[in-house]
Amino acid sequence: MIAREMFEQFKQRFGPLIVRADLPSDNRLFVFVDPSSVRYVTQHIFRELDARYVATIGADDRPFSGKFLVAHNFAFDKEHLLCGILAYLPPDKPQIDSITDMVPAASWGEREMRDLVGIEPVGHRYLKRLVLPDGWPEGSHPLRKDTLWNEVPAQYDPEREFKFDEAPEGCMVIPFGPFHPTLDEPAHFRLFVEGEMVRGCEYRGFMVHRGIEKLAESVMNYNDIPMLAERICGICGCVHNVAYVQSVEEAAALKPPPRAEYIRTIMLELERLHSHLLWVGLACHIVGFDTLFMQSFRIREPIMWMAEKISGNRKTYALCVIGGVRWNITPELKLELRSVLDKLESEWRPVVAAVSHDKNIQKRTCGVGVADAGQVKSMGLIGPVARAAGVDIDCRRDHPYAAYDRVEFDVITEQGADVWSRLLVRAKEVFESIRIIRQCLDKMEDGPLQLEIKDELPIGRMGLSSVEAPRGESHHFVITGENNRPRRWRVRAPTYQNLQGIPAMIKDQQIADMTISLGSIDPCFSCTDRLETVDVRSGSVKVWSQEELLKLTRKKVEG
Amino acid sequence: MSILSKLGETLVCLKAGRVTLPYPAEAKPLPEKFRGRPIFDATKCIGCAGCANNCPAREILVYDVCQEIRILKYLGRHCAYCGRCADVCPEKAITMSQEFENGTNQIGDIQQRLELFMSTCQRCGRCFKEPSVLEQLKMKGYRFDDLENERWIFRSQATLKGEPAVDDLKIELD
Repeated sequence: MIAREMFEQFKQRFGPLIVRADLPSDNRLFVFVDPSSVRYVTQHIFRELDARYVATIGADDRPFSGKFLVAHNFAFDKEHLLCGILAYLPPDKPQIDSITDMVPAASWGEREMRDLVGIEPVGHRYLKRLVLPDGWPEGSHPLRKDTLWNEVPAQYDPEREFKFDEAPEGCMVIPFGPFHPTLDEPAHFRLFVEGEMVRGCEYRGFMVHRGIEKLAESVMNYNDIPMLAERICGICGCVHNVAYVQSVEEAAALKPPPRAEYIRTIMLELERLHSHLLWVGLACHIVGFDTLFMQSFRIREPIMWMAEKISGNRKTYALCVIGGVRWNITPELKLELRSVLDKLESEWRPVVAAVSHDKNIQKRTCGVGVADAGQVKSMGLIGPVARAAGVDIDCRRDHPYAAYDRVEFDVITEQGADVWSRLLVRAKEVFESIRIIRQCLDKMEDGPLQLEIKDELPIGRMGLSSVEAPRGESHHFVITGENNRPRRWRVRAPTYQNLQGIPAMIKDQQIADMTISLGSIDPCFSCTDRLETVDVRSGSVKVWSQEELLKLTRKKVEG
Repeated sequence: MSILSKLGETLVCLKAGRVTLPYPAEAKPLPEKFRGRPIFDATKCIGCAGCANNCPAREILVYDVCQEIRILKYLGRHCAYCGRCADVCPEKAITMSQEFENGTNQIGDIQQRLELFMSTCQRCGRCFKEPSVLEQLKMKGYRFDDLENERWIFRSQATLKGEPAVDDLKIELD
């Protein structure tokens, strides 16, 4: 009943400002307000009701309602409620008041909305281009419905360079990236340093932005998209797969069979296990402690083999379709999974015991990359970064999905707010994941794997789903549509929020700590940059032009 | 205490022993369910094009040469090995094989081309019942993919004149 109570509270407070409200279930609330009052309403929700900012979504709804749509999603974690504040904007010159001065975390969301949908956030202080390549002409917005999915505007100029900000006085500039040994994916940080100390940075990313959302909205089907969603990320693929499917199921009011929910939970936890082990290894690798890197990868390997046995692949599980799962966990697999978990637990325990007293790692990580509870709130940081700062949030418990409401587990928190605490949180969460999988194996009931879907999915319904990925909350928002595909699908990956906290984390720190600070959020640039139409090379400081580079590579290949 | 933790770490390493596998000299056996390159069985295939309609990567093309001959081509370029084609195939003509070492200089090595002799049912004109409504491709017109350029075509202009067709070809009508 929490959605209804919250809505009554809104009604008393805002009254005539509310145009319409949808309460699809107990834990979901969509409030449509007048565009001019969005700022006022979000301020009240964020400040006084202490909601957590989740995502900003812009959508082109012109072919259907003749208007643009903007949604700011918030989460009430203690009340177990996900809430969207939506507003329809007029079709010509869509504008909305920016909420970034109250909710700094919305900065990227609004910049992305401006780039891709062309909705102008009025009053945003830093309206630099975020997603689109620099040579992309003004006034062309890829996510508008009248832009084709494979369209490159005629005025596109791949040679145009990115204009960097002026460095503050007395500061040197050190480029970090786009290709850097500690980054597995391209992102460019321009560090402003004073001696050894970092004073600020400018970020230019979205270089591997691949147009996934546009592709899904214009080319693929409901049941094709899970396989695409899974490829958003190489580590938390199953998370995106499940989050997409759950948001569609929620929009269409479908309930997957209980066995399917348990299997989803098991696969998500398997993925968390392998991701945590991988990250602890990588973090140690970044600080130069390769012994543990090797060991955690060795301990992780049986999990990959187990996933391969269950789903047919080490990493891309291709697990979900709308209304169920595709792979069964047979009694033989159950037995094997149990023995793999036992072995993992017995091997991981001595590693954690040894590492948690290791002075060398502590010296490199304690007090480094600090993001305290205040920053967590204002920048919308999530996952292990938030939990390491003592903020007790976890989607698995706060917004239960799949079978998480039927299992018991503890949410691990630490108080240090630094890289060391993040390491401890992730190392300890491994045991909780093992606990969850064991409970699922015990409780799993027999039954069908897939729901029988007889009717077409309803049109124009909204669904949202938050899934706790290993590195934070992954949020999907879907509006169902015609032609067997969604009208709008928005993915907010965890790194999208956590990366915005990086400038604050690295400020006034030594430049040598930059790598581990960045590594500590487990950045996944492929998740963050998920929607692109063209290859961007112009974002980097250019020495070679694209043509020259191409010529050079061709010469190399031929010769 | 740090010396103790170092000793602990040493113990973890010593206990592990040697774990490197001698791949590729010796291949690790694959699980039964492994999803490798899909193999099409021309003798079982009835040419319903269910696989082509449900391939997320659009890797399977269908082209009707004439009323009786249908060509089904698997391109093998960016197949995701998701196994949806094998799922929806009503005749189980597609198996996900154990082959994963598919690196090649010649794409023809992994492409497959099926020439199917079709006899159309005069009553219904189709032969594929989708598992659910979600598998239906909401496509009007004929399946007429561009085999030469290996492109999937969404809609043939034959039935949808004037509408902006995506990645379309100009199909000449008789």
